[in-house]
Amino acid sequence: MKYIGHILAHLRKDLRIEWRSRDSINGMLFFALLVVVVFSLAFDPTAAVSRQISGGILWVALLFATVTALNQAWTREQNHQVLEAQRMAPAPASALFLGKAIANMLFVLVVEAVLAPVFIVFYNLHVLGNAWLLALILPLGTWALVVNGTFFAVLGLRTRNRELLLPLLLLPISLPALLGMVEATTGVLTAQLDPLEINTWITQLAGYDLVYTIVCVLLFETVLNAE
Amino acid sequence: MSRPSIFRTVAWLWFLASIAVLIVGFREAIFLVPTDAAQGDTGRIFYYHVPSAMLSLIFPYINFLASLAYLYWRRRDPLKALTSDALALTAAEVTVVYATICLVTGSIWGRATWGIWWTWDPRLTSMLLLWLLYVSYLMLRRFSSSGQSQTLAAVLSVFAAVDVPIVYMSIRWWRTQHPAPVFGGGPDSGLDPSMMPAFVWNIIGWAMWGIFILCFRFALERRRQLAEQEAALSAIEDSLETAQ
Amino acid sequence: MTWHTFFNLSTLEHRHLLAAYATVFIVQGSYVLWILRGWLRSKGPRE
Repeated sequence: MKYIGHILAHLRKDLRIEWRSRDSINGMLFFALLVVVVFSLAFDPTAAVSRQISGGILWVALLFATVTALNQAWTREQNHQVLEAQRMAPAPASALFLGKAIANMLFVLVVEAVLAPVFIVFYNLHVLGNAWLLALILPLGTWALVVNGTFFAVLGLRTRNRELLLPLLLLPISLPALLGMVEATTGVLTAQLDPLEINTWITQLAGYDLVYTIVCVLLFETVLNAE
Repeated sequence: MSRPSIFRTVAWLWFLASIAVLIVGFREAIFLVPTDAAQGDTGRIFYYHVPSAMLSLIFPYINFLASLAYLYWRRRDPLKALTSDALALTAAEVTVVYATICLVTGSIWGRATWGIWWTWDPRLTSMLLLWLLYVSYLMLRRFSSSGQSQTLAAVLSVFAAVDVPIVYMSIRWWRTQHPAPVFGGGPDSGLDPSMMPAFVWNIIGWAMWGIFILCFRFALERRRQLAEQEAALSAIEDSLETAQ
Repeated sequence: MTWHTFFNLSTLEHRHLLAAYATVFIVQGSYVLWILRGWLRSKGPRE
């Protein structure tokens, strides 16, 4: 119970700070919107084609938006020597990590919630499959990006070219998860995959989330004490 | 220089032996093996492409084990940790070399035999992702400051190693759902006995060469690490002298 | 195959065969030369 208390404390702090300025969410939202518009101009899809590609476009837009937000996810901590303080504190460091990851997750989910109607409008989307599955796929996919992204953001904190390094590290590791989220989303939108196949993708995505959450939690302390 | 001279002798002998085996392998592959019925002479690329592919799947394990050893020894025995780190870096570089060869020769072969430069089949896609993972590892090492690059890279190595089976499974499932052209005639195509000599000589030759460059690069890295340690030591000694 | 036919550049197949083998030698050769260059530039252990 105490561990969860730590996580909630970090989470509350991040949410409260973000709520005051709402920089991160606004930036992410606008950036994702721009990506959607650029892709529409690039592909000019018809109704049938748009269903095929909208899954991919959604996740690419979210990926870019997440990377932009994560690049400055730890700047506050860095500016105020929070990480050094954490090293001296008895509280487990992984609670800090999970609190921040969950906060980032909530921000991206808010962006998704705003983006989804925009998507439906721009692409005249009419979900052919079971739309409720999207309520499962979107959080699972988002967590896959956010958990690894938050971790690699810390990894790159004291490197040069930090903003470049985050996508360089995040994308190769996330490719199987990206494949899963895009395939599952497109499968639901176009109803071209039967439920068993979609469920397999969802299971794989859930497995990926579980494995990498554990890996990140276990290795966060190591990265914090990297010197 | 008595200890290093034994290493030098063995290194030279191993180098010459690898070159000799590779020459035999080249001769076998190009001149002796009969021309493939289906693919013609282009099929001879097989003898260089497949050994590189198989070997590029072994070096990542060395990188992973060395990274784990580094993380274990890091606080307990710094000298052993340093050695493990050198091995991890070396194994990653050799992985990238062999994976690059596999991808490029595969692409050239594919164009000649099947008319396409690339296809997103399970093996090629997984190999591409493996290449991307280890290139990102090398980029992290390059971009991070020297104090922590070893630990950060070791952590990334764990992520990459965990990713390899996940990549394999997800790409295979993806291709089960959406079949695509497969390079190399699918998983059932076996080795004809007439191909065996060339294949065996080449895989042994490239494995020996791989071990040679692994050890050579490792020795170079150790040299650099020791030079850095000596520089640090002499800097400390200098500062102690002036403190008097 | 003979040396003559190996270096025959007339057909696409032969060009690609040559290109593939050349790639292998170039990549491996460059890497080992790069290591050698680093070795020659680095200082040996002082005795």
